[in-house]
Amino acid sequence: MVDAARQPLIEVKAYTEVEKVEGFVGNFKVTLREKAKYVRADRCNGCAACANACPVEVPNYFEMNLAPRKAAYVPMSQSVPLIYNIDMDACIHCYKCVEACGALEAIDFSMEDKVTEEDIGAIVVATGFGHFDPTPMTEYGYGRFPNVITAMEMERLNNSAGATHGLVIRPSDNNRPQKLAIINCVGSRDKRYNPSCSNFCCMYAIKNALLLKQMNPDMDISIYYIDIRTPSKGYEEFYDRAREAGIKFIQGRPAEITEDPDSHQLFIKSEDITLGRVIEHEYDLVMLNQAAVPQPDQDHMSSVLNVAQSPGGWFMEYHPKLRPIDSPTDGIFFAGACQGPKDIPASVAQGSAAASRASRILHSDTWQIEPTVAVVWSDRCVSGKGQACGICERACPYGAIDYTKGISAEVITAKCHGCGACVGECPHDAITQLHYTDAQVLAQIRTLLAVEPEKKILAFRCQWCSYGGADLAGTSHFEYSANERGLRVMCSARMDADLIYEAYRLGAGAILYSGCHPQDCHYITGQIVGAKRAARLEKMFARLGMSPGRFRTEWISAAEGDKYARVINEMQAALDAIPEDQLKAEIDRLKPEMEKKLTKLNEIPGVEEAMIQVDFIVKDLLNKAVPV
Amino acid sequence: MNEEVSKPKYVGAMPEDEPRIGVYVCHCGSNIAGVIPPAEVVDFAGSLPGVVHAAETMYACADSGQRLIKEDIKKHGLNRVVVSACSVRMHEPTFRACVAEAGLNPFLMEMANIREQCTWAHGHDREGALEKAKDLTAAAVAKASFLTPLDMINVPVTKKALVIGGGVAGISAALDLAEQKIPVTLVEKQPTIGGVMAQLNKTFPTMDCSI
Repeated sequence: MVDAARQPLIEVKAYTEVEKVEGFVGNFKVTLREKAKYVRADRCNGCAACANACPVEVPNYFEMNLAPRKAAYVPMSQSVPLIYNIDMDACIHCYKCVEACGALEAIDFSMEDKVTEEDIGAIVVATGFGHFDPTPMTEYGYGRFPNVITAMEMERLNNSAGATHGLVIRPSDNNRPQKLAIINCVGSRDKRYNPSCSNFCCMYAIKNALLLKQMNPDMDISIYYIDIRTPSKGYEEFYDRAREAGIKFIQGRPAEITEDPDSHQLFIKSEDITLGRVIEHEYDLVMLNQAAVPQPDQDHMSSVLNVAQSPGGWFMEYHPKLRPIDSPTDGIFFAGACQGPKDIPASVAQGSAAASRASRILHSDTWQIEPTVAVVWSDRCVSGKGQACGICERACPYGAIDYTKGISAEVITAKCHGCGACVGECPHDAITQLHYTDAQVLAQIRTLLAVEPEKKILAFRCQWCSYGGADLAGTSHFEYSANERGLRVMCSARMDADLIYEAYRLGAGAILYSGCHPQDCHYITGQIVGAKRAARLEKMFARLGMSPGRFRTEWISAAEGDKYARVINEMQAALDAIPEDQLKAEIDRLKPEMEKKLTKLNEIPGVEEAMIQVDFIVKDLLNKAVPV
Repeated sequence: MNEEVSKPKYVGAMPEDEPRIGVYVCHCGSNIAGVIPPAEVVDFAGSLPGVVHAAETMYACADSGQRLIKEDIKKHGLNRVVVSACSVRMHEPTFRACVAEAGLNPFLMEMANIREQCTWAHGHDREGALEKAKDLTAAAVAKASFLTPLDMINVPVTKKALVIGGGVAGISAALDLAEQKIPVTLVEKQPTIGGVMAQLNKTFPTMDCSI
């Protein structure tokens, strides 16, 4: 902490929130809100005179609300930076702090939040984790029984700088506990709350038990556990030390804690797996080793940063094994527990790893980004012919389209992220996306639907989410119908209606229109563009008498492999449920309707030429499909 | 900002050259070959219009696999490459770099995902998996026929980092960056940095102080 504050190249901005992140790798524009402290950083010397004079006491979050702080406060005496804050929600405006501060004149009630913008090349996200609140687990009585405390409360009780100066006491009577139980996996490995393991709590329980035992050799300490997990260096030895020190390990998840209302003594009823029976023991104090959970504002940060979340709410890395530090957005990296529960050594290592990943960019004068950007065919843009349009400009999430009526629209390359929303929306087919041109995607569609198209489920997927979901389905070996044929574009916004029409014109059995969940979109609002179009298409196909299930829209994250497999299997079942002759009649009826919508397809530059060549491939596929 | 960014060169709607496509079907050990016979996909793809060479490879991503592709590009005069193997999320950068080393534009490579999105998901239906692997390979060949060379876009870099969160991970990242002479803004929403670690009493397994 102190090193960070001393390092001249680090500017510590505490009590500050990140409001907005715009831009792209090497060129982020970040909006920060420095909340008003009502104490001037350039004058405060951290002397505490204001806090000593302040008559208002409120609970201190840092002490897990076990100790008070003043309205003029620092969370702890070793705060970095050591600059006092006036908590305006608690302040009674008696101005005793102003008086106490005297000639320093550091206290300034006229201060306001300061909003600043910074140009940033790379971002390390290290927003950490939150603690599971055990109140909903009524069987453990947290909140009702004073002597049931959480692990974080124990940390503050057992800390010489804490509320009791390191004296562990029972909240009900301030007596020293002699018999203590620690319950592991409170809210973790529990399908009602968090199915996952919180990673470090086994070690954490052992640490607390050992510390207490060292200070109080006569204390009787039991740890209730499901499994003890000590996979890192020196951890198993640490566990051994605890057993040698006489700490009892009881394998079993306690079913219930009851309390004697007079003495506030606690009784834990649990299975003891090693004994093979139910046990009940009395304790003076019980510590619930609560699960690590995502920060309460993790969803909010996820949308500010435009990064997706894994199941459980943690930030989702680009690849779980090969790129564990990278976010899917180039130039944004994860460190520590925001990506999943981690202990201190792992968090420190990830901090260094993230710094290393970021410094590759920050040591470069220029950085390369993919050229899969949009390009306008100016001779096709109606604006250039004097018509009002601007649809592309409205579709673009980045303001990357320069549109003025009377002049052909133009893509500002630096701002274009390559989602293809403008391409999908342009009603005049005047925009293309490099590497995902209409000719290229149509070639894939025609090939995939060359043979027995009525049996195929053509799945349009976005690069970042539903393609990843399909990958995860495979990685997890979730089986789904092999009639699925996948097609990748960068964003659901690129899934042009023409592409869907063409697939049905060719007689596709079913089409999945899939992308990310709205809050996960890699392109801010690309999914919204895609979702609106999908809703329009859905209505239209229903009007044209299409059987339900033949056109389906689904938002599937890269973490939802199970969902991807389920959706495809449901689509297969829906397709199977349509009688063969009915399906054929539907397809035949739809074909002329689709042809009407595609009369101008061949005018798109390159498409006619490409389709002549694709027909050779299609013919070859049909020949090969004929049984010998 | 815009002036400093290189523009994509004008790209015609269609490639200027006749496609000479090489197709590589990966076994991935038994990950793919345990479900479908790659040789059948090779036979199928070898005669597709535009394909001049098709081969199977045990591990396309391994040195030997990449060397094969690079040698074939020269030997057969390939101007497009299709790799039927795993996910683009896994190895698209690998094979783009591979073809680039052989002098081909990296965007003239297309992958077909016949592992994650085929053999791994359709172990119950080997015949269906084989048909799908062929179709995905054919679609990649079709797209590859119309790929045009593209140049990466160069963007300038602001040499400053933002670290969000002043816990132990954020502090560690900020210090490492600053020690490399990179200016860092370290943002913390609470009034003090330190995060959860600062609240802890001693840390395992060495029981040292947390602050």
